[in-house]
Amino acid sequence: MCYINNPPKDSAQLKSELSAEQWILLGKEAVDNGMLFLLLTGGEPLLHPGFFQILEGLKPLGILLILFTNGTLITKEVAKRIAQSPPYRIEITLYGATEKTYEAVTRIPGSYAQCLAGIEALLEQRLPLLLKTTITRQNVGELEAMRQLAHSFGVPFIGSWLLTERRDGAPSEVKDCRLSARECVMLEATDQISATEWQEAVLRGEKNSEENFYCLAGKSTFVITPSGEMNICIDLPFPSAKPLEIGFKSAWEEVQKFVDTAPPLSPICQACEDRIFCPRCPAWSYLENGTLTEPVPYLCEIAKERRKIYAP
Amino acid sequence: MRRKVNFLLRKVGDLNILVPIGQEVLDLNAVITLNETGAYLWELLEEERSAEELAIALSEEFDVDIAQARIDVENFLKELRETGLVED
Repeated sequence: MCYINNPPKDSAQLKSELSAEQWILLGKEAVDNGMLFLLLTGGEPLLHPGFFQILEGLKPLGILLILFTNGTLITKEVAKRIAQSPPYRIEITLYGATEKTYEAVTRIPGSYAQCLAGIEALLEQRLPLLLKTTITRQNVGELEAMRQLAHSFGVPFIGSWLLTERRDGAPSEVKDCRLSARECVMLEATDQISATEWQEAVLRGEKNSEENFYCLAGKSTFVITPSGEMNICIDLPFPSAKPLEIGFKSAWEEVQKFVDTAPPLSPICQACEDRIFCPRCPAWSYLENGTLTEPVPYLCEIAKERRKIYAP
Repeated sequence: MRRKVNFLLRKVGDLNILVPIGQEVLDLNAVITLNETGAYLWELLEEERSAEELAIALSEEFDVDIAQARIDVENFLKELRETGLVED
């Protein structure tokens, strides 16, 4: 529930966000430059006062639009209106399978019931929905129950356990919320698909990419922040290009240039024998130690634990 | 027959991609790619066309014999009907 630290009608926050017209203008420029997929996320996108104007303005452009939401603002009326301009996919995060656990995480009384009502309202409109969770110490005991809840709604379910530090650099309780490396890897091993993928990667003798930026960030994907800055990914506030001032194309070129000229992996990571098991990327390094290159001890532990299981 | 209005043909890189822009997403949650001849026929179907008209146009544009063009058009239209992308 990412907006917990800002009240929904926080005027300073609202003032710093792009207007619906500006989002649609950026959408048009992005489409002219070949963008096909667009993810609307937050915070909580439905808090934007022009949310429907944005949705309805972007849909006719031929974008495959994905919406991430916590679902708590989705009433029957909201779901009906979303169904008039249906996204390609909607994803809702569950924070627990019971009211007690869910609201222990969100700290918002009533949010569990609102979320379930939102899910039901979307499904009533036949909207394509996926449920997911971010696994923490608080809700790990309800992982299976969350999976069952999703199945009872007839929708897919995914879980992720890699909790990062806060993107704004503010102090967080993440180290208390994370599972230990051992717990993460044991949990991952219960998922047959993940386990098989690791086993096959080892059998193939797969090597990790030599590139520091090994994902699609800055190659075919970018992020635009609520205030209109274009960055490499949601976790990396670089290069802060300004598409509304210099044009989409120039901003996108700045993003690509940042990735192309990024420093290489640290020598420690380059020499690490566990590297194929390591999910470290520049964003993780930046959030955990303020660099783009250096090892992240938590992920080093995860890589070691994976090796113990898949390549002892 | 003619194509349904709520699909947009987008050229992204080398791909011709049909994107549903209306409530068709609810019935067809997929991305459809068309080859060059498919994209050509799709553009023609903006207006009412018979299968024979399409075959003649295809034959002339891509220099294929008319018998082959008729077979290709029928196969293409069959797929479009099955996925609900055209209306008679």
